Amino acid sequence: MKKEFERKIADDEKFAEEVAFYLSTKSVIGGEATNEKKERFKKLYEEYKKTNASKGQKSAIRKLWPYVAAAAIIAGILFGKNVFFQPSPQQIADTYIQENFQTLPVTMSSRADSLQTGIRLINEGKLTEALNQFESIIKNDTSSIEAKKYAGIVYLRMQQYDKAIDYFSQLASNTQIFANPGKLYYSVTLMKRNLPGDIDKAKQLLQQVIRDDQEGRKDAEAWLRKW
Amino acid sequence: MHMPFEQKLQSSADLDIINNLLHEGVNRRKAEELLFTRYAYFIEQGMHKYSFAEEEAFDIYSDTILSAIPKIIDRSFEGRSSLKTWLFQIFHNKCVDFIRKKTTNKSSVNKSVGIPEVLVQVADSTKTILQELMDRTDKDQIRQKLNQLGDNCKKILWQWAEGYSDKEIAVALEYKTADVVKTSRLRCLEKLRQLYNTK
Repeated sequence: MKKEFERKIADDEKFAEEVAFYLSTKSVIGGEATNEKKERFKKLYEEYKKTNASKGQKSAIRKLWPYVAAAAIIAGILFGKNVFFQPSPQQIADTYIQENFQTLPVTMSSRADSLQTGIRLINEGKLTEALNQFESIIKNDTSSIEAKKYAGIVYLRMQQYDKAIDYFSQLASNTQIFANPGKLYYSVTLMKRNLPGDIDKAKQLLQQVIRDDQEGRKDAEAWLRKW
Repeated sequence: MHMPFEQKLQSSADLDIINNLLHEGVNRRKAEELLFTRYAYFIEQGMHKYSFAEEEAFDIYSDTILSAIPKIIDRSFEGRSSLKTWLFQIFHNKCVDFIRKKTTNKSSVNKSVGIPEVLVQVADSTKTILQELMDRTDKDQIRQKLNQLGDNCKKILWQWAEGYSDKEIAVALEYKTADVVKTSRLRCLEKLRQLYNTK
């Protein structure tokens, strides 16, 4: 059969031409069909790219999700901290006492000074002895503002707020001294004591500090912003 | 004689595509499109892996699918690997061929139409005769004369050129039997030849 076909192709020109035409036609139409399919594929590919691009965008957003979520949580915490976890007046007072009344500045002097001795005793944590020291000074000199200030600080640290208030109110009412922290200390004590009306009173005192530009104005402004 | 098709390595989506390609009818066209879209990401891989331009990668991938479809239909693809692995192998080979052609500067533009696979086994002398005759054939004239044929003829010849059997054409174009298709097909070809010869 194969030999017969080969012989006929070699000997019969008309037959060979018919076969060649047959093959050429198949090839031409096949090429056309292929081109048509390629055109169809091209359209499909364009659609595929569009779909894929939107999927890509979605997946990019999906990839960003953990970061967006983390940012939202952090923002939420910060917002919540500011809104819901504002420090209470008592916490503000605690912080202030911790930062300002734990260790007090001592004047370097060779002279034996009973006030400095009292301050050293505070810094050493010997509050009762320090108090004795300051009250002894006050007993000898009832106008000793400095001794009253430190006595008030010791009472505050000993959580004897009424006595602290007594000294700080005396300090606050003194108009002779230039840098008078009396009202600030008085309000800190009220904030720490936190009895009914104390916070309102503390607020009024802080507003006076700001209005009169007294010692502790910046602290007063910062605290009132949180209330 | 092909081995029975092994299904176990195929995903259900690939099996659907293969089955629709194997069964003649309207679903075949849909299956061709699904096959193309399913692995269209090979184009991007070709662009990255071989630094092809998008159009080059697209052409290679289209050729991959176009050569894979008849192999699936005639069951040359026996399912011994997944469809994806098999397709990627074809795609990879075509990419390598393309690079080789590019580097050796061989253009396929003026390449003559090759002898079809059915004639691979004939003697070289026969091939040479047929190749020379085919090269002398005016392809544009054939294209032009095709348009003068009726729609039925065009449809039959189109399907035949795409590699469908007479039986498949009978089903697709609703002819009674494959023999009717064969007779009609040969008549159409003869008509085309007559039109071609009356240029």
